[in-house]
Amino acid sequence: MALLTLEAISKHYRQGEIDLPALKQVDLSVEPGEFAALVGPSGSGKTTLLNIIGGLDVPNQGHVWLHGTDLTRLKDAQLSDFRLFQLGFIFQAYNLVPVLSALENVELIMVLQGRPSAEREARARHYLSLVGLEDVMLRRPSALSGGQQQRVAVARALAAGPRLVLADEPTANLDSENATALLDIMHRLCREEKTTFIFSTHDPRVMERAERIITLRDGAIVQDQHLNQTAYADHN
Amino acid sequence: MPVQTANSSSLSMLLFMAWRNLWRNPVRSLLTVSALAGGLIMIILYSALLTGMTRQMSQHATEISTGHLQLQRQAFIDDRDLYATLPWPYLQQLEARHPEMHFAPRLYAAGLASAENTSTGVMIKAIDPLRERQTTRMLEHIRQGKADFAIADHTASGLPRYNLVIGAQLAKNMQLTPGSELILVTQAADGSIGNALFRVAAILKPLEPNFDRMGVLMSIEAFQQLMYLEDGFHELAIKLEIIDQLDSAQVTLIQQLAAFTHEQPLEPLGGDPIIRNWRQLNPAVSEMLELSQTMMLFVGLIVISLASMGMLNTMLMAVHERTHEFGILLAIGMKRRILLAMVLFESFLLALVSAALGSAVGSLMTVYLERDGIDLSHYMPDGYDWAGVVFEPVMQIYLEPTHVLHACGLMMTVTLLTALIPAWRMARLNPAEVMR
Ligand SMILES: Nc1ncnc2c1ncn2[C@@H]1O[C@H](COP(=O)(O)OP(=O)(O)OP(=O)(O)O)[C@@H](O)[C@H]1O
Ligand SMILES: [Mg+2]
Repeated sequence: MALLTLEAISKHYRQGEIDLPALKQVDLSVEPGEFAALVGPSGSGKTTLLNIIGGLDVPNQGHVWLHGTDLTRLKDAQLSDFRLFQLGFIFQAYNLVPVLSALENVELIMVLQGRPSAEREARARHYLSLVGLEDVMLRRPSALSGGQQQRVAVARALAAGPRLVLADEPTANLDSENATALLDIMHRLCREEKTTFIFSTHDPRVMERAERIITLRDGAIVQDQHLNQTAYADHN
Repeated sequence: MPVQTANSSSLSMLLFMAWRNLWRNPVRSLLTVSALAGGLIMIILYSALLTGMTRQMSQHATEISTGHLQLQRQAFIDDRDLYATLPWPYLQQLEARHPEMHFAPRLYAAGLASAENTSTGVMIKAIDPLRERQTTRMLEHIRQGKADFAIADHTASGLPRYNLVIGAQLAKNMQLTPGSELILVTQAADGSIGNALFRVAAILKPLEPNFDRMGVLMSIEAFQQLMYLEDGFHELAIKLEIIDQLDSAQVTLIQQLAAFTHEQPLEPLGGDPIIRNWRQLNPAVSEMLELSQTMMLFVGLIVISLASMGMLNTMLMAVHERTHEFGILLAIGMKRRILLAMVLFESFLLALVSAALGSAVGSLMTVYLERDGIDLSHYMPDGYDWAGVVFEPVMQIYLEPTHVLHACGLMMTVTLLTALIPAWRMARLNPAEVMR
């Protein structure tokens, strides 16, 4: 069974008198464990689609099925719980709470989940070392590089134990070296933790690490390629 | 899901984040704290000053001349009827029954005073100096001379010449000083014209405007000789050892007087004996005290509302700056009400720090001022007269601990209500909009 199924999703924004379509009848299905990139020119609807999948925005038409739940039918508080337990988010930049250390940032989401303190700390340390930050986890975000901050965001997303991680241009503010390093970490965790990833990007070097590339143009999916995974394994 | 753990850890995490967020912009937070604490200090000082004033007013109302309770007869209250006296045995009986009270009998009459080249109408008040000193502090308020009521000397014809004490304004108007002679002319109780020569022994400080202008104090003995009025007294001022027992003491005395008059009826023309407490005797002062409470609340509200505008500005800015951060927190699954609680915690902590600082500094300042009061005697040696009450030149400061608590409570309430505005704005945040 597919983890995620989008059924005829449409979204339009009202701009004065006219409706501007952002997504037109989008159908999509994602299997557990996929590592999928959402690509397309600026304004093609990538962010809009990710927000709808993440329950941050509601479509005008259509349904979002995630692990058997129709997100379009959930209330605000239910959506919030759904995001907390089922979804991980990595945004472009400034993902972290500035007054908390890396470790506390990762713990915070588990505090919200109600996990016991010992488990929280163990998991936070575990995921921070998986993303290679064991030496700097007591630093606050302002004392971390952009790449390190994004890796904390990845650790935070995974420590919560989500089914699906959504990342909107996670590498947009990184140089290409850091960008590919982040992607490699994400990909490794996708495999090891059996988590599903969907991320949007403009960067060709990021795209080439994806196992699937979904191309959007003017709010519609124009191409959906499944790539050879062994090619990536060699590359690694 | 272990809900209990979730709540308690969330709470401590929220408090922790709120506290750290406060010190994210220390200058701004400290400015807000000083505005709120400064407001609180002002309120505490104002309330201590006002409380000092009202205490002085009520002390003045009771201690200086009224006493806590007064006994008079109805006709004396209504028309100052010279014949509406109470028999002397009443005084002895009350004194025998109530060692915990002090009683000062008084008699009154109107007269005409003449000195070398002026004459004026006066109000004669006769007292028992010994009992008066135990009951009120009137005789301590001497500006010049010595409060002596004994016989000064005898006239050429062998009549005693008594000492008396006069009001401040009267002394000034008639150009009298201690040692001056004064002739008093009255209509005595038997209808004859009483007149006698007196010696001014002392001049009182201002006590009450009417008395200052017309008051003449003499001993009851002198009064009886001048007025031929021996069978009783007009007024009994009563002082309680414990002011808190005012109401019960009043009830007890009313019952005892009823018993006295039942045993030995008074002649009916003078009316019933009436016992009134100082609030009934000085309704203006009593109203003033109530008004001052309202004034304190009003001024407190204004000052705190102004100070909380600073808080509002701080929190609006803090929330505005962190829109993106809040969007992230909402996106990853933090509930709106938890976010709201976090922002309210920040305001709460700011208010708490301000309350602690403000009440500490405010209380220390008042305690320091309380010791000596604010001495204005350099500018007004006789004190000042306000709303018919004469105040001493040293303004009393009195810190009422409950006022500090109330002021803190008021400040916390107002600032938390103010904090709802930014919190409410934030609670409507749409994470999808913020993330773009
Ligand atoms: N709040 C909004 N109001 C009006 N139009 C909007 C709003 N948000 C998005 N749009 C429009 O919807 C379309 C899709 O926008 P979206 O942000 O999803 O594109 P994108 O693919 O993420 O672009 P980019 O690569 O620049 O991030 C665009 O035409 C955009 O102008
Ligand atoms: Mg976008």
